[in-house]
Amino acid sequence: MGAASRYWRLIKIDATSQRKVEEVASAQEFFRQQFPAFCQPVEVPDAQIQTQLLAWLQRSEPSREATISHLAELCLRCFISSQIEQTCIQLETLFGSSHSFTRQDLFPFVLNDLVLEKPRPSAYRPLATEILQTFDPRRGNLATWTARLVKHHRELNTFLLERGVYLVSDWAILNDTTAKQLRRILSDFHQLTPTEIERASLLLASYHAVYRRDRLSQSTSRGKCPPPNPDQLSQMVHLCRSQTTLEFSAESLLAQLQDLAERLRQYRIYVRGGSLPADSLQDPKVNAQASHLQAPADGSTEDEQSQFLRRYHQEFVHCLDQSVAQVIQAQWATLQGRSLQSAQDFIAALKLFHCQGKSMGEIAQQVGLKAQYQVTRLLKLKSLRADIRQHMLAALRERILAMAVNYTSPDQLQSLDRQVEAALEEQIEGIIQSAEAEASVARNRPLASLFAQRLCRHLDLRNQNL
Amino acid sequence: MTAPLLAADMLPDFQTLPAETIELEADQIDRAWQLSRLLPTEAKQWWTYLNSLALFSFEQWLADRAPDLAFDAQQGSILQPKYANVIDAVGHLRVGEFRVCLLVAGSLWDQHLTLLRAVVELPEWLAHFYVVVEVQEELSQAMIRGFLRHDQLVQQLQAQDLPTESDWTYALPQTWLDPDPNRLLLYLRLLTPAALPLPQRPSQAAATQPVDLVALLPSLQSPDTPLWQILSWEQGATLLANPELLDWLYRLQTAPAERAPALVEQLGDLLQLFSQQAVNVGRWLRDELDELAQALPWVLLPPLNPALRTRSFRAPTVEAESILRELECTTDMTIPAQARGAYQDIPFAQVALRLYAITWPLSEAAVPEWTLLLILGSQSGAGLPDGTKLRVSDRTGLLIERTASRDLGPGYLFVRVVGERREKFLATLTLPDGTALTLPPFSCC
Repeated sequence: MGAASRYWRLIKIDATSQRKVEEVASAQEFFRQQFPAFCQPVEVPDAQIQTQLLAWLQRSEPSREATISHLAELCLRCFISSQIEQTCIQLETLFGSSHSFTRQDLFPFVLNDLVLEKPRPSAYRPLATEILQTFDPRRGNLATWTARLVKHHRELNTFLLERGVYLVSDWAILNDTTAKQLRRILSDFHQLTPTEIERASLLLASYHAVYRRDRLSQSTSRGKCPPPNPDQLSQMVHLCRSQTTLEFSAESLLAQLQDLAERLRQYRIYVRGGSLPADSLQDPKVNAQASHLQAPADGSTEDEQSQFLRRYHQEFVHCLDQSVAQVIQAQWATLQGRSLQSAQDFIAALKLFHCQGKSMGEIAQQVGLKAQYQVTRLLKLKSLRADIRQHMLAALRERILAMAVNYTSPDQLQSLDRQVEAALEEQIEGIIQSAEAEASVARNRPLASLFAQRLCRHLDLRNQNL
Repeated sequence: MTAPLLAADMLPDFQTLPAETIELEADQIDRAWQLSRLLPTEAKQWWTYLNSLALFSFEQWLADRAPDLAFDAQQGSILQPKYANVIDAVGHLRVGEFRVCLLVAGSLWDQHLTLLRAVVELPEWLAHFYVVVEVQEELSQAMIRGFLRHDQLVQQLQAQDLPTESDWTYALPQTWLDPDPNRLLLYLRLLTPAALPLPQRPSQAAATQPVDLVALLPSLQSPDTPLWQILSWEQGATLLANPELLDWLYRLQTAPAERAPALVEQLGDLLQLFSQQAVNVGRWLRDELDELAQALPWVLLPPLNPALRTRSFRAPTVEAESILRELECTTDMTIPAQARGAYQDIPFAQVALRLYAITWPLSEAAVPEWTLLLILGSQSGAGLPDGTKLRVSDRTGLLIERTASRDLGPGYLFVRVVGERREKFLATLTLPDGTALTLPPFSCC
């Protein structure tokens, strides 16, 4: 349900990608005549209106009927434009700030309808036309279908992927699903009947036999999985027919495969959601298992930590310096193997982050990367810190004979790792997280932790030696 | 590790790629592709492809994160099609002193993790760490999704009493995974393997003998037939622990249909070859007979070089020497002075046979080799019945077969085979009426 005006207001963009609303007078007039009861700016029953509009659209009689059909199409395309906009806004809300894009970046890919007051044959085919032509009311409502096609839009996906936001394709999901998984998911999660499951298994087997074979048939055809082509579909139809009396057309097979992928996607979403810490904490059973398997709660008190640090202060700082140097040098060498530029960017970004307190967004600008996400990937701060800690533990083992540590118990090792972490910590983890999440936060002063201090000292020394 | 759960109901299937994503290079993808080509079915090819990508991702990740750790993937099971054909995982990897097994996860996020019984229960496949590598094939990317420690895994399996599935797998909850790959690195770098002892031998009281599989294995000729549909788990365990049998199975499943009968026929020999104790002819060179040889009984001949011996003796020695001289004349065979031999009398009801076995090392080859010369005659010296056969096979199949014919031959049969030090040979004598005797295999060390 939504406002009636969605059926005569076309959302489009101007040359600078700014959103514009065009009131389509003929569509408004048509809507007023046909749905006099729904013209007030209140909630209108979309399902009912769309069913009627679609019925008119599909009439193919000449003269006057053609006009009705065209006007019905205009109303539907206006509606679709508002749904496309909504989807872009949602994407911006979810990922925009952390992945450096706005809805204006997305609009040009999908919000590309032009309204022509008179129907005119044209090679230009906006997304809205494709949505209308492929829409099948038996498979869901128009809003959902629109969102689905926007989500799967190829150029939009490519753009988002460059910014680290990925939508797995239907075909990749189907490729990696086994017959056993499919049966279990369709019966336990979707509660389909055995007949439906049999049919789906047959579809998947035919799909695998053709699509995966072709994907592996030459080493060069890589990249995002495209939809099956007509030739592949006809081979799949042939395989299906050879094993069942059910009739399949290439078109219906494609639709059924997409629906199957959508079901797997729903399950996938459920599982990904379910595996989140926030969720598992609410599930006492899962939580009990998780805590059993993972690190036991940190039992060391602040006092113990400071004792640890005081007692071994000298060794500790020495080992930290040594480990910082080792790990940064190793990372420098690895990156340099790929490109000297990224190795230099790495050092520069490390410095900007730890020693000047710049945000990821600012660092991206200064080292000339497109998005802050790329800085995050370049720095991999969590990995870097874990590597430094682990080198420290190895160095400490050698230096502090008094500790007589032989790391022979996984639990003891973990506990030591946490003590070192705590000693280095001083909330840097939180700073990293917020820096990775928010482009705008800039502190413009060095980080205060021991870790950051020693790291900056190393970078200074490194600079002097160059 | 996990992508954040999204609040909006319309777009929750987008995921953000973590900074730790591993990018696969074109040559790694190409190598994975080539490995996949070796498998006999489309499904096995696909999963071998993904498993190989998982291996190369893990290798890359370790090289980036921990160049200080030694990674040995030479024996990686996915690199050998006989293993890839039956084990959907990457076993036999080593990081330092630790054994590591990779499990691949594809684009479907399943709440269950499929774990093969073989890699947790069979000593040949056990690992200290099972690492789940998520491969995004269409992006040519991967990431370490988490890992399981063997000791915790086994404890947990027992505590939860998790049932095994009929297809020889466990369906583990994903929550059992430790999602922090940094902790894996912590263990790999700093723990000693003694901290995570692996069981040495399985507690399989009634383990299947390889020979019990003779009748079942030919049913696995179609590569689409899963092992678990034909074999019990105990039988499967025997098969999966046996590289020679797996090699045979792979050849059976990839050979053209017309080669299959020959392979099936060869299976009996193959099983004897590795399940029976071998006679060590290497000891003959040091003038010794091992216990097995004594029991058969093989009788050691004195050194064949006349210069090395003082007296002449019993008939077999004289006979052997005369045959060897004849062979040196009629063939281009040179029998060196250090060659040693033994003989065995075989009293078949129909005819009393005598088999000579002569061995010597071949040191001129780059890889040390040894040779075995077998000579089959009759004890009476009257020649062999027409149609008597002598054949020798090794793990790859029949090497040579000779049939006696009074018209053509010298009254005895001989075969000579050469192999590397670790190779074994199996000899079978067959009388014209089909009576056959297969001797325990010959080995040289």
